[in-house]
Formats: sequence, structure tokens, C-alpha cells
Amino acid sequence: MMMVDKSGDPTATRNPAKLDLCQPFLNDLPISGASVTVISSSGAQVALCASDAVAARLDELQFELGEGPQWVATKTGTVVLLPDVSSASHEQWPIFAASMGQLNVGAIFSIPIRMGAVTVGAATLYRDTPGELDEDHQSTALAIASAIASTAVQRAMTFATDDDISESVAVPALRREVHQATGMIMVHLDSTATVAYSRLQGYAFVQGRTVLSVARDVVARTLVFDDLPL
Amino acid sequence: MTANSREAQLSAAFVKLADTLVTDFDVVDLLHWLVEECTRILDTEAGGLLLVDAVGVLQLIASTSEEAQLVEVLQLAAGEGPCLDCFRTGTAVTVGDMQVNAGKWPKFSAEAIRRGFLSVHATPLRLRGQIIGTMNLFSTHTGELNPADIAVAQALADVATIGILQERTIKSSSIITAQLQHALDSRILIEQAKGVLAATSGMTMNDAFIAIRAYARNHNLTLAKVADGVIARTLDVTTATIGK
Repeated sequence: MMMVDKSGDPTATRNPAKLDLCQPFLNDLPISGASVTVISSSGAQVALCASDAVAARLDELQFELGEGPQWVATKTGTVVLLPDVSSASHEQWPIFAASMGQLNVGAIFSIPIRMGAVTVGAATLYRDTPGELDEDHQSTALAIASAIASTAVQRAMTFATDDDISESVAVPALRREVHQATGMIMVHLDSTATVAYSRLQGYAFVQGRTVLSVARDVVARTLVFDDLPL
Repeated sequence: MTANSREAQLSAAFVKLADTLVTDFDVVDLLHWLVEECTRILDTEAGGLLLVDAVGVLQLIASTSEEAQLVEVLQLAAGEGPCLDCFRTGTAVTVGDMQVNAGKWPKFSAEAIRRGFLSVHATPLRLRGQIIGTMNLFSTHTGELNPADIAVAQALADVATIGILQERTIKSSSIITAQLQHALDSRILIEQAKGVLAATSGMTMNDAFIAIRAYARNHNLTLAKVADGVIARTLDVTTATIGK
């Protein structure tokens, strides 16, 4: 059984399997926080790290909504820069923009994680105040992203293939409960996975809760979707 | 050879390399062509390209001829000699007269001389700090390569390296991303199937997984395949495990 590192393990700096993939971005760039997510070409997503709660929520929101700069960075393989979140147009991610209002975010930069010709995910960097990521810093960010690419993919594979892996709040990885809840709601509503997931997503959005926390209620059987008014 | 005609040959070679790299290319064809072109431009008689394999041993990938005399010398070159020195140090090694240096690499020198090669020139294939192989040119006459020749050989080798890496990267990254997608998609199906079982039969998630895994093992199916059947409600994995 493989455990996710949740504490200040003294071996963390020596064992590359435990290195924090977010930290290199924080060390070398003028940012407040970072998250790293692997996204497959089918859109399946694995959250690998987030340096703080805001970074974690930015990543989670984009997972929940299926939109946001990290999706664009992954799809296009190019850097997405929002040096001033308050004045950006956000036309590619309107719901994401509306949802991050409460978070104290001044700037967002999504950096594609490229492996050869293929983009395997994105690092989303944020600043609590507006500010540019100049060209040198963009190059640095891209260089860090390539340097962590193969480790990121290996880790995502481990999260996907290990049957007993434990996911932590800090590293939700595949957010397995969301997919389990989707399966349960499929039965509750006799629907497809797409419909079931949309209902889960819609319910969370309307209630102002995270999809993961609603999913946990479904899995714990404290929330049953066929009992809900449509 | 005049500087002009060499310049013309060289720029023609670069145009050809650039063309090769943007279209669908076969890396072995490219390397054969490169070593032939280098042999011609640098006025040598034979050449061969050694690339390091996954366990760090140099392997013969391309040569100007498949004749035993050259192939055997090149295979020896992977074990000792200027090609290996070039690979280890990452710098070009030019040996103007094999007879003078025979003591340094006895086996390689004896074989090269026996086959009629009197000078050998090895150029590293470099990627940043890493050396991925060497391009080796053999001549039947003595004489070192001058710095201009070495620069020409290195320039051609560098472009070839880009080609080799491009192919390796495209191949390996597409395999890795295909594996990644498969692993993630399978996992999502398995989790959804656990949810379906939990809702239909009241099982815990863990028992649901045990049922899926047992069914997969008993029927020699993949977990993802069984999960797919559970989600589509075409497989009943809850009864199948009883008594097995």
C-alpha cells in the first residue's frame, strides 16, 4: 500500500518520490501560491499538490466547473496570464470568474506542463496582489514545469492505479468520492454518468458548497438525490 | 576542397536536415543520411553512428556501409578507442595517425589499421549536459581534422541530435500520455461502478471494490471492463462472487 505524504517527513528532501512539486515555483517566482494538476486528453484530472488553501480552491473550482485558465493552458499548451484578475475579461471562464470572488486573488498564471509535444497538465500560480509575470519569470515557470513533468505523470499514474491509496484533504488527487457519488446518483436517478455528475455539480453550486463535500454526503448516504425536488 | 564548395554542401545539408525534421521522418534514414553526408563533406571514406542504449552501452545505429570491415571496427569502437573517449568526455576526438596512438587502444587500433583506416574522428551527439552517442568518421589517409572541420561535424551532429530527440520524445510522450489517459479513465470507471454497487446493493465502497475485483479475477477481465458492465447494469458482480 502506498501512502500519501501528509507530514513533514524527514526523508522528503532525499526521496524524489516525495518531493513537493509546488515548491520549486514558490522558490523562484514572485507568487503567493501554486497548484499542480495533471489532466489527461479525456479531461480526467489529478490534483497533485497545492501550496495553500487558496491555491487548492482555485484548482478545485476549475475541476468542479470544467473551465478556467488551467484548462486553457492544458488544451493550448501555452501560458495563460491574468496579471490583474479584477480587470480581466474572463470570457473563457465566466462561472469560474464569478466563483472566485471571495478568494483573495490578484493575479493568476497557468503554466502548461509539457512533455515533448504533449501537454499533460498545468501549474496554476496565483498572487494575492495584481502583478505581471515577466518574460524571464515565464521562462523559469515553463522550465520548472518541464522539469517536474515526468514526476507529475508518474505520480498521477500511481494515484490512478493504486487501489488502496489514501487521498488527503491537501492532495485530493482524483477526488474519488466525486466519482463514487456520481455512480450512486446514476442509480438514484437512473441516469447516465454525465447527467448524474451535472446534478451533483449543480447541487453544490446552488448550495455554495464544494462538489467534493457534497459527494462525501452522498457516499455517506446522508444525501440521496431522488429525495430532492428537481 | 575549396571553402566555397564546402559551404554550399553544408548549407544544402542543413536545408535537407531542416526539411527532414518537419516532415514525417524515419530516424534511422536520417542518421544514415547524416553520416554519409558528413563523410563526404569532411573528405573521409567511411563513417558510423553510435547511440547509447537504455543501459548506457553504445550501439551501432547507422554506418556508411554494412560491410564487415566497417561494422566490426565500429563494434569494437564501442568498447575502447577514440569514439568511446569522445562519448565519455563529450568533446571531439581526432586521431590523425592510428599507428602513433596504437598503444592507447591496442585492440581497436590493430583492427582499424588492419582494415586500412589510418585516422579516426569522433564527434559527440550532445544534448545540454548529456551525451547520447557519437558520430565517427574513418579515413584511409593520415591527418587530423582542423578546427573548421570539427565545427562542421559538430554542427551537423547537433542537428541530427535534435532529430533523434524529437522522435524519441514524440514516441515516448505519446505512449506515456496514452497510458496516463487509460489509467485515469479506468480509475474513474471503477469509482463510478463502486458507487453504482453501493447504491443498488447497500455495500460499502470497499466491499463494492472487492466484488468488482473478484469478478474480474474469476472471469479474467480487466477491472475497467467489469466496472463498465456494472455501470451499464449488464454485469451482476454481487452474486457471481458467492461461493468462489
